[in-house]
Amino acid sequence: MQHSLSALVAHDIKNALALLEIDLEQLNHRSDVPIEGARAYRRCVELKSRLIGFLTLYKYDQSGLNPLIYEVDLMDFLEELIMNSPSVVMPEVYQGAPLSVQVDRDRICVDAACSHAGVGFFDENLLELALESVLNNAVRYAHHQISLWYEQDAEVLVFKVLDDGESAADISGSPGEKEKSASTGLGLALCKAVAEVHGAGAIQLERVAGGGMLFSMTLRQVTCHNHN
Amino acid sequence: MSITQEKGIDALFKKNPLENEYVDFSRLTALVIDDISAMRHAVRSQLHSLGLNAVKVASNAAEALVQVQSNAFDLILCDYNLNKSSSGQHFLEYLRNENILNATTIFVMLTAETEYSFVANAVEFIPDDYLLKPCSEKKMRARLERLIDRRTFLLPVLKAIDAKEYDAAVVACDKLLVVAPDDRRMMEVLKRKTEAQLALHDYERVLETYEKAAALRADVPWVMMGLARTHYGRGELEEAAKIARSLIEKSPNYVAAYELLAKISQETDDDEGAFELLSRSSIILPSAKRFRSVSQAAFLMGKLEEAKSNSEEAIRLSSGSMVERSGDYLSLAQTLVDMGDHKGAIETLEKTARKHGDVGIFGVAKGAILAQAYFESGDREKAKKLVERSKSLMANRKNSFVMTALGKAALKVGDVMLGLKLMTEAVQVSGKDQKRIARHVKKSMVDTGHNEKVEDVIDGGKKRILLLVDEANKLMRSAHFAEANEKVLEALDIQGENLEALMTAAQLHLLWLKHKGVDDEIVGRAKSYLIMLDKLVPNNQKVMNFYRFFNEIVSE
Repeated sequence: MQHSLSALVAHDIKNALALLEIDLEQLNHRSDVPIEGARAYRRCVELKSRLIGFLTLYKYDQSGLNPLIYEVDLMDFLEELIMNSPSVVMPEVYQGAPLSVQVDRDRICVDAACSHAGVGFFDENLLELALESVLNNAVRYAHHQISLWYEQDAEVLVFKVLDDGESAADISGSPGEKEKSASTGLGLALCKAVAEVHGAGAIQLERVAGGGMLFSMTLRQVTCHNHN
Repeated sequence: MSITQEKGIDALFKKNPLENEYVDFSRLTALVIDDISAMRHAVRSQLHSLGLNAVKVASNAAEALVQVQSNAFDLILCDYNLNKSSSGQHFLEYLRNENILNATTIFVMLTAETEYSFVANAVEFIPDDYLLKPCSEKKMRARLERLIDRRTFLLPVLKAIDAKEYDAAVVACDKLLVVAPDDRRMMEVLKRKTEAQLALHDYERVLETYEKAAALRADVPWVMMGLARTHYGRGELEEAAKIARSLIEKSPNYVAAYELLAKISQETDDDEGAFELLSRSSIILPSAKRFRSVSQAAFLMGKLEEAKSNSEEAIRLSSGSMVERSGDYLSLAQTLVDMGDHKGAIETLEKTARKHGDVGIFGVAKGAILAQAYFESGDREKAKKLVERSKSLMANRKNSFVMTALGKAALKVGDVMLGLKLMTEAVQVSGKDQKRIARHVKKSMVDTGHNEKVEDVIDGGKKRILLLVDEANKLMRSAHFAEANEKVLEALDIQGENLEALMTAAQLHLLWLKHKGVDDEIVGRAKSYLIMLDKLVPNNQKVMNFYRFFNEIVSE
C-alpha cells in the first residue's frame, strides 16, 4: 500500500474513533448509562490515544515535528495533566487498593539561576501526549502512589514521574497483583521524540532504591518562543 | 491536586466543584469551522455539553467569513485543514489583516499531529491557542477556561480596542500593569498596549513599551518584530533590518520578518534581495498574497518566467476562494504578452470573462492587455479598436495599473500621444505606490522602444507638483490664502500624499487661521492635513512644530 494511502486510512480511522469517543462521551452524560457504556468509552479513549501517539511518532520519523513553543505555567500544566489523564481517572485496572496520583510540591526544585521560576517554554500538546503515556505506564505498575514534579534551572526543565511499583523488567513473566497488558514501547519512543524536538532534550528511566521507577524528561529551554 | 483511582471512571464525568465557578459558558457564543460535517457537529455537541447555547457552524472559510462579519463571537474553533486551497491559518491571517476579528474574540486552531510542521512558528498571526484534535470535552473545558480567564483579565483593554478607543486602551493597560500577578500577564498587557499605541501612531511610546517587554522576556518574536517595525516606521531602516535579521536567525520561519526585510530592500533599491526574501517567505508559508508579491517583484525586474509561475500559483491558491483577485489574471496576461505568448494571454483573459465579466476598471485593463496581445498576433485592427474602446470606458477613472496597461497598448498601436499622456498620469496618481508604478511605466516604455521619453514621463508629475507648490508658497506669503489653497489642492489632486504639497497645505492653513481667526472649516482642514502628515512622517520635527502652533491658535 502506498504511504499516502496508508496515512489517509490511518487518519480516517482516527477521526472515526474521535467521533465515536464524542458520541460515547455524550452518552455518558446521561444518568441511566450502564457500566458497559463507561467501559466502551474508556476503551475508545485508550485506543484513540494510542493511535494519536503512534501517528505523532510516525510523523516524527517521516518529517520531524515542529513544536509550538509557548510559555506554560508548570503547576497548572501538571495539575491539568492529572485531571485530564484518561489513565488516571479511568485506569484499565481500577480494582484494588486506592492509588493516589499527585503533584509533589515538596520535590519541586528551582535553581536560583532560573529567571522564570514556575513557567516553562514548551509545546503543551506534545508534552501532554508524552507524559500521558508515562502516566499510563506508571498507573499499571504503581502500588499506592504516583508523584509528579519538575526541576528547573537557567537552561533546562526536567519533568519527573515516580511510581512505587516494581519495574517493568521485574514484572514481565511473573504473575503480579495486577493484570498487566502488554506494553508496545510506543510511549517511551514518543517521549524520546518529544524531548528531542525540544532543543535536543532527553529521557531517562531508572530504578529507585526501595522499588519503583523514576522517569525523567529533560527539555532544553529555548528562549525564542511564541507568546499568546 | 490528588486524584485517587478509587474514584475511577466516575471522576471523568463529574465536574470538579471548583470548575465553572467563574466561567459561565451559557452566555458565550461560538463558531465551529470544520470541513467534515460529522466533526463540526461533534465539536458543537461538546460545546453544548459545556453549557454553550449559541453555537454556529461553518464548513469553509467563505461561510465562516459571513458569520464572523455578522456576529461578534466570543469563541471561534477553527480546523487548520479546511480544504486544499485554504487553511485555518490563511483564514486567521485574512481576518487579522482585514481587521475583521474582534479583540474580544478567542480564536482556537484545531490541528492534527500531521499538520504540526506547517503551523509551527511560521507565522506572525498566531491564534490564542492550538488544540490537538480530536480533543476530549474535559480537556477542551480546561483550555477554554484558561483562555476565558485571560480574556476576563484583559477585558477592559480588549473592549476599548474593539471600540477603537485606543487612548482609553492605553490607560486601561497601565492600570492592569499595576495589578498583573506575574510576568506572563504583564506580557499579555504589554502586547495589547503596543497594539493600541501603534494604532495611535505613537512610535515614541510604543518603542518604550516594546523595550519594556524585551526586558521582561528576551527574544520573543512579536516583541522583536514590533521593535523592527517601529524602527522602520521612524525611518531607521538599518536598525529595523538588523533586528529582523536576528529574528530570522532565531525563528527561521517567521515570514513577517522576511517581508519587512523585503520592503527595506525595495526601498534601498536592492531588487534582487527583495525578490529573494519574498520568494523565501512564499515557500515557508505559501499564500496567494505572497505569490502575488513575488510575481510583482519579478515582473518589474524583467524575470518574466518567475513572474509567470508565481502569478499562476497565486491564481491556483485563491481561485474560487474569498482571496481571489481578478488582478492576478491581468498580471499573468500582461506577463504572457511581454513573453511573446500572445495566445496564452488571450486565453487567460477569455477565461476570466466567465468569472469577472467585462465591466468597470477590470474591463478597461482587460481590453488594454487584449489590445497588446492582438497587436502582437498581427491583428492590428482589432488592437486599435480595443484601445479605442478601453479609452472610452476609462472615462475619469484614475488607476495607475490600468493607465500603464492602456498606455502600453496605445504606444504599441502607434498612438504615441495617448500613450505618453496615460503613462505620465499613471505616475502622477500613483500616491504611495509611486516607486513601483514608475518602474512599471519605465519597463512599459522601454518594451515599446520609447526609452528617450522615460525621464520626462516619470518626472512630469513631479515637476508639475513642485511648480504648483512653489506658486502656492508665493501666494501664501502674500496672504492670498484661498488662491494658494487652490494651487495646493491641484498638486494634491496629482499626488494625494505628496509631502511637499501636504507641508505647504498645513502651513498655509495655520497662517490662514492666525490671520483670519478661528474658523471651524479651516480648523478641520488644518487638523486633517496634520493627521495625514503625522501618518506619513511620524515624529517629524516640522510637523511637531505645526501641531504646537495649531494648539496655540486653537486655544487662544
